[in-house]
Amino acid sequence: MDFNFIILAIGQILAPQTIAFALAALGLAVCFGFTGLVNFGQAGFMAVGGYGFAITSVKLGWPLWASILAAIVAAVIFAFILGIPTLRLRSDYLAIVTIAAAEIVRYTVKTPTLNPVTGGTDGINGSSVAFDAINPIPPGRYGIGILTYNQDDLWVIIVGWVTVAVAALFVWQLMRSPWGRIVRGIREDEDAVRALGKNVYWYKMQALIIGGVLAALAVIINIVPTSLQPDNYGTQTTFFLFTIMLLGGATTVLGPILGSIIFWVVLSLSDGILSLLVSNHLIPITQVQQGPVRFILVGIALMLIIVFRPQGILGNKREAHFGA
Amino acid sequence: MAKAPNPTPRPLRRVLGLLAVLIAAGALTLAALPAAAATLADSTPTPTPTATAAAQYAQIWVRVAADKSNVAGVVVKVTGPQGFSQSFTTGADGKVAVDAPTPGKYTFTLDTTSLADATLGPAINPLVITIATGDQGDPAYFLLKPGGASANPSGGTSGSGSGGGHRVNYFDLVSNLTANGIIFGLLIALAAIGVSLIYGTTGLSNFAHGEMVTFGALTGYVFSGILHFSIPVALISGFVFGGLFGYLQDLGIWKPLRRRGIGLIPLMIVSIGLSLALRYFYQFLFGPDQLVLPVPAGDTIAVGPVNLRPIDIISVIICIVFLLLVAFLLLRTRIGKATRAVADNKALAAASGINVERIIRIVWVGAGAMAGLAGVLIGYHQTLRWDTGASVLLLVFAAVTLGGFGTAFGALVGSLIIGLLVNLSTLVIPTNVQNAAALLVMILILLLRPQGIFGRRERIG
Amino acid sequence: MPDTTNAAKATGLQIGDPAPGVKKVDPILVADNVTRNFGGMTAVDVAHVEIPRGVITALIGPNGAGKTTFFNLLTGFDKPNTGQWIYDGRNLAGVPAYKVSRLGMVRTFQLTKALSMLSVLENMRLGATKQTGERFFSALITALWRKQEKEITERAMELLARFKLDTKADDYAASLSGGQRKLLEMARALMTSPQLVMLDEPMAGVNPALTQSLLGHILDLKSTGMTVLFVEHDMHMVRTIADWVIVMAEGKIVAEGYPDAVMDDPAVIDAYLGAHHDTDLGTLTGQLEVAIDDDDSLVQQITDEIAAESANTGSTDDRKGTA
Ligand SMILES: Nc1ncnc2c1ncn2[C@@H]1O[C@H](COP(=O)(O)OP(=O)(O)OP(=O)(O)O)[C@@H](O)[C@H]1O
Ligand SMILES: [Mg+2]
Repeated sequence: MDFNFIILAIGQILAPQTIAFALAALGLAVCFGFTGLVNFGQAGFMAVGGYGFAITSVKLGWPLWASILAAIVAAVIFAFILGIPTLRLRSDYLAIVTIAAAEIVRYTVKTPTLNPVTGGTDGINGSSVAFDAINPIPPGRYGIGILTYNQDDLWVIIVGWVTVAVAALFVWQLMRSPWGRIVRGIREDEDAVRALGKNVYWYKMQALIIGGVLAALAVIINIVPTSLQPDNYGTQTTFFLFTIMLLGGATTVLGPILGSIIFWVVLSLSDGILSLLVSNHLIPITQVQQGPVRFILVGIALMLIIVFRPQGILGNKREAHFGA
Repeated sequence: MAKAPNPTPRPLRRVLGLLAVLIAAGALTLAALPAAAATLADSTPTPTPTATAAAQYAQIWVRVAADKSNVAGVVVKVTGPQGFSQSFTTGADGKVAVDAPTPGKYTFTLDTTSLADATLGPAINPLVITIATGDQGDPAYFLLKPGGASANPSGGTSGSGSGGGHRVNYFDLVSNLTANGIIFGLLIALAAIGVSLIYGTTGLSNFAHGEMVTFGALTGYVFSGILHFSIPVALISGFVFGGLFGYLQDLGIWKPLRRRGIGLIPLMIVSIGLSLALRYFYQFLFGPDQLVLPVPAGDTIAVGPVNLRPIDIISVIICIVFLLLVAFLLLRTRIGKATRAVADNKALAAASGINVERIIRIVWVGAGAMAGLAGVLIGYHQTLRWDTGASVLLLVFAAVTLGGFGTAFGALVGSLIIGLLVNLSTLVIPTNVQNAAALLVMILILLLRPQGIFGRRERIG
Repeated sequence: MPDTTNAAKATGLQIGDPAPGVKKVDPILVADNVTRNFGGMTAVDVAHVEIPRGVITALIGPNGAGKTTFFNLLTGFDKPNTGQWIYDGRNLAGVPAYKVSRLGMVRTFQLTKALSMLSVLENMRLGATKQTGERFFSALITALWRKQEKEITERAMELLARFKLDTKADDYAASLSGGQRKLLEMARALMTSPQLVMLDEPMAGVNPALTQSLLGHILDLKSTGMTVLFVEHDMHMVRTIADWVIVMAEGKIVAEGYPDAVMDDPAVIDAYLGAHHDTDLGTLTGQLEVAIDDDDSLVQQITDEIAAESANTGSTDDRKGTA
């Protein structure tokens, strides 16, 4: 039997995907965990940021910094478009509008008419050029055993984790400041905060923007080593992010990061174990049936976490009360 | 407003009694399910000729324009990307499905020599159609007219933006799209009323409602596609098992969660988790491909410029009957009044002797049953797959939001609007963004009327 | 009840005889033609009212009279169907709630809104205005707001001490009792250094011993030049500290005047308890207690009224024909 999958699962700790989901889940925590905005459109923010980056860098040949800026600006604009109409409405409206908006983005970029710009269903390849161009790491292979990386992989991983660390510090500082106090107040009762003279609407908007920008940065880490695929940013990505955030702790800074690591390691492990069992005919399911299993697990995990441990691994039970 | 009904809900007991019978009957048939699923898991290709494993396909349909009769035995040559070139012959219903291995532009050329009646010819030949990923049954329809391709139909400047495609009379097109929109709207309404009632009585925005729809559709598939029962059996089983599913869900998940006093947003997240788990469990059981419900035989029926399949007509009738029934139940019966009272004010309803839990249970059963029925009908109307319900969920939500959350009547109107939007929008935008258009309109209407069309403003402060 | 009773009451507040809508010598708030309908029912219909500056005004009236709704309208939490009101020379109609608060008109809620997931001290700090650290970019640099935060904390602790909550400063507000939450909400409102405090039933649920010191506290506010407008059902408290009393019934202002005069006014007593009886409102300290020992028909009447009221609150349906 082949037990390499255990090592591969451990490798998930460093994977760009883990980094990307950690960042995006952190952004989601700013919206949902700290401010109480039911943002079901985080995948939409990722898509918008991703296209902002990929179109400007691949199709327009902008320099790296400008493309990153474009991704951020795209996310900010998307936040305004979503926020202006909905942040005054009840929270379940925000949920439905954000999820709908994310789907609108996905449908739209896939339109054949937009093929020359968005690449249609195939998405956009080759976002890594500008990124790799400034890679200071000498070419070679780094790592041990089957966990080896070439210089470009390593470069993404390093930049990615540094970004995560900076973002975590940023969120931590925000949340311990008077700004954070206001958004935490809003999460619980926005009228109380409004009565004290705070512009609740604007704070919600800021939170949505921060969440969106973190998602945009996340997607860059995700597409640089691979490519931009519109269908990677459907609703289940948002739901994965919710699972990750709640798993680690939605009202904590380190929770989403820890959540992402655990999430991907566990998924990778379960895939590995399942493959092992299937290929050795230890359980009566086919290869085709193996695919959906991970989603079933995620769905069940999400239900169990929100019911039995809403504060997640790192959170404080008393703060884990998510709106009405 | 409704006076609070008396606490002696005798009809309630009757309904529960009926339910018990249904469950007992259902339990027997349920025993057949795992076996059916097991045969499925072997994944032999699905039996029907139109079955397809490709991710996308187009549908050729050759008809005579004058009497809408189907023309069999016509040869159509199809060419497409990556050197795709193949000939297809239409079946008895004038149709044949074309699996497109890769998405892209396909050219459909009707071989006029294969036409039995040489006086007729296709209005447009060849047709160029863009098949996008996942498209199910893009229309490659040929209408045969005297004189053929040379005689283009008057007003043939169709505004269809769906990537080329066949050109028919604009009025016909609009009529057909409108008819389709109404049918689709009615189908959505069946599911939407359940969403709305559940929201009204429990406050839950049920993201797993799409899976209730799929559940019904799959039940129908098991009965008619695998066990070869007739269509009425498929419909009834979708309805009955859907109701049972709703009952079990409430019993096993939602009631205990209400007992725990879980907040509404966490509840919504639970429904998301349930939706993911169920949807992929369906995929696990039935595989990732499209499933085919055997469509009833019979020619399309022309109603003015509109061509309807028999199943469309059956769907419309069933939908209208059920919607009227729901309206009657809500407005005229005690349970209905109690339901509205609970939706209006749970505490007050409880205080005036209504058994709130029981009402909620009934709502779940009813919502599940209607979703199940809607599922079977949607399976007939468009396509059936493990994610059929999920693919219409957002449209259902849009309908409910548009109508005003928690109002059953609003849900119906919202559904019709969405159904029409989804269909008529294809006149001006590509088909694959038709859903996007509907969602966009929902957002815009919310901007103007946050409470929806029929909703009431929330109490503030 | 000692010291509070002999606090100096203001006189000469109005121009002319006290009557509904009477002009004040120095009004801080003037409202005109403010109406609010819920479905078919008119909750508030105030033709003209002026709130005198620098004194304590009580707004009383039976349940469902529209007092809270009127508060909501004035503070921007609800939108009126018609009307406008001028606060300190500024027309506030259409001004959003947070701006109203920034202008110095701060309210508390009848159903307390203590933020239970923040600590008591954090609740208090949240009240402070013009905080540098509340701006996004300044928030990122602690040095910019550390000093201010310290000052705010000191002020918060002082206030908490006065409200006997200082020992709870670091507890989650969730751990406070109902009465303590009322106190916290009031203290938090004071953190904004308002000019006009609007308290919606500040004493409901606060124990009598503490009530006494709170009354003193409210009188202190007056002595620092603040204007207080409060809704209260405890007639003893109204009589003790209010300089001016406004009576609302069925959305309208039905009487105005100095406490003693108003509370002996038979029209007011009628508005409160229905016609035909001779209770002195000054003895009314709760809503039910007083009714219990009165005659039966009155008990029935009030119980009905309360039932009708509770039947209405929380419902989102149209409401017609309420008490
Ligand atoms: N959002 C709302 N929707 C419908 N009706 C409302 C709403 N808010 C208040 N009402 C109705 O308006 C009337 C006035 O209510 P309000 O809360 O202002 O009374 P109140 O004077 O504060 O009473 P209490 O002394 O009991 O606090 C009541 O009949 C109430 O039912
Ligand atoms: Mg009140």
